[in-house]
Amino acid sequence: MNNHHDQQAQNAGGIATLLQPARRGTLSATDQPRIGEQWTGQPETYYNLPLLKKAHWGWEIITYFFLGGVGGGSYLAATLADFFGLKRDQPLVRAGRYLSLACMLASPIFLIMDLGRPERFHHMLRILKFRSAMSLGSWGITFFGLCCGLTAAHQMAKDGLLNWFPFMARTMRALPVKAIESIGALFGLFVASYTGVLLSSTAVPIWARAKHLLGPLFLTSGLSTGLSALSLILSLGRFKGQHDTLERLDRAEMITTTTELGLIVTLIPILGPLAKPLFRGKTGILFTIGTIGGGLLSPLLLKLGWRMNKKATSRSLTISASLLTLIGGVILRAVWILAGRISADNPRDIHYYNALERP
Amino acid sequence: MGQKGFFTDTTLCIGCKACEVACKQWNRLPADGYQMTGHSYDNTTALSSTTWRHVAFVEQKRSVDGKTSLADRPGTAGYEGGIGDLNGKTVNWLMMSDVCKHCTHAGCMEACPTGAIIRNEFGDVYVQPDICNGCGYCVPSCPFGVIGRNEETGNAAKCTLCYDRQKYGIEPACAKACPTDSIVFGDLDELKEKAKQRVTTLRERNVPTAYLYGVDEDTSVGDLNAFFLLTERPSVYNLPERPHLPQNNVLPGFVASAITATFLTLATAISLWRGR
Repeated sequence: MNNHHDQQAQNAGGIATLLQPARRGTLSATDQPRIGEQWTGQPETYYNLPLLKKAHWGWEIITYFFLGGVGGGSYLAATLADFFGLKRDQPLVRAGRYLSLACMLASPIFLIMDLGRPERFHHMLRILKFRSAMSLGSWGITFFGLCCGLTAAHQMAKDGLLNWFPFMARTMRALPVKAIESIGALFGLFVASYTGVLLSSTAVPIWARAKHLLGPLFLTSGLSTGLSALSLILSLGRFKGQHDTLERLDRAEMITTTTELGLIVTLIPILGPLAKPLFRGKTGILFTIGTIGGGLLSPLLLKLGWRMNKKATSRSLTISASLLTLIGGVILRAVWILAGRISADNPRDIHYYNALERP
Repeated sequence: MGQKGFFTDTTLCIGCKACEVACKQWNRLPADGYQMTGHSYDNTTALSSTTWRHVAFVEQKRSVDGKTSLADRPGTAGYEGGIGDLNGKTVNWLMMSDVCKHCTHAGCMEACPTGAIIRNEFGDVYVQPDICNGCGYCVPSCPFGVIGRNEETGNAAKCTLCYDRQKYGIEPACAKACPTDSIVFGDLDELKEKAKQRVTTLRERNVPTAYLYGVDEDTSVGDLNAFFLLTERPSVYNLPERPHLPQNNVLPGFVASAITATFLTLATAISLWRGR
């Protein structure tokens, strides 16, 4: 027997009506809790088996995440220094341009290695899908790579490295490099950040819950590691001449490191119980001691301490701080990938996350 | 509308796994596992790139004090009450043939950067195996944990809703093989009508907990073209209770990144600046 309720009455009494035996003939098929409504009480699990499937990504992707960040960050630094045009910053400009090219030459190698069908890597450029962070990113690294190539070629021409091919040398020297740099810097910022958005646009709870923070975090880390890589490179060369440049790079690094710490602190209340992999177990040790302790707090405190004692920045300090930051950056990427595996494997995390967010 | 899909009525399922076998046979999928999991009769455990129909089993016992006891299952210690009195039975054995949901808004399809995953003319979500390059981004993007990447072929794979059989006007292998018609294939509007009538009938027959999962939903995933009739909350069957479409996170992520980029660029510029 079918009673017809109108739409307004259908959810009268809500889910509670289902917990009682049916009143014969008074329920219609539309009296049902939709998925969008809250189920009362604690969700179950199915033998504690995973509900989601984790991403397969491993060391290749961790390496690429790191290189993409360094590439974007160093390109931005080189561009800004070029625009300010200081003669003593020329080594910084040169280092930034060559470093970003090296990063963008290496990046596709790791990405292609990671594919299940590497020979079909070019299929990434069949379409552009704005709702897919990976599609946007594939095009992003293509254009950023192009800008890195042109900028580095211009630098090579200026440095006399293309003299064996005079036509190329002339053409590259004549490139409108400031225009290319402006566009390239934007793509570089995109490349450094989109990997965080890529992770948070999945169903994995720890990644998805951090949707406002992962992109910014990866970008900040990318800039921080890019600046540190440049400091390291310049320190390994003629140190005294670079003193002023390194001083200013230092300032930028400290701001970036502080921003990164701020973002991580913001993560903790937002993730809540989802943050367990970041602070417990092997991944917790890596994150707290590796990234926060070694990669962020140590270099920051070292630099602050040195400045407060009004000592001139020493070469060994810069090298140590840079290495700490770089290693911390690698560990950051690794931890987030590993934490994602743990989160995807935990059905309770999925139910917790789903209940929190608007459907 | 002409869209076709599955209606899987778990109250009719007898757990014979003919659907699993038919699916593997028709699609020439390899056997996998050979493991006795101890999770009732479930030895496939989950959907994967080589298992496109998976039968789930849940044994529910009534404890001595008359309340539902699920104490055998890890993570449920202290669980009390729940869905009344198991509908008057001493034991309840839930069986459900899980499959790709072919969502109205599919996370896997929106994630796919090569355009391999498409919606075909029958309204199903289909992975084109000659285009997929195995990036694996669809895998964590499915809110239901359906699609997997086959490590041997390198491709991502899932239920095709027997696209090849549909093109010849015959029903999918699992629906054909199901001896109780727990799995029914047909026009979605007709199936939903039948399903709603079935829910009403069940409630009249003292199964007050029957409901449809994937019909008239207001989630970002939308209605499921392969929907289910369940008698317990979705998490019991390892289904998400409020699935989200992950791609809704893309825009907020990029907006936040753009704001951060602006701030960091200014901060770096100010730091690098040296007045003459």
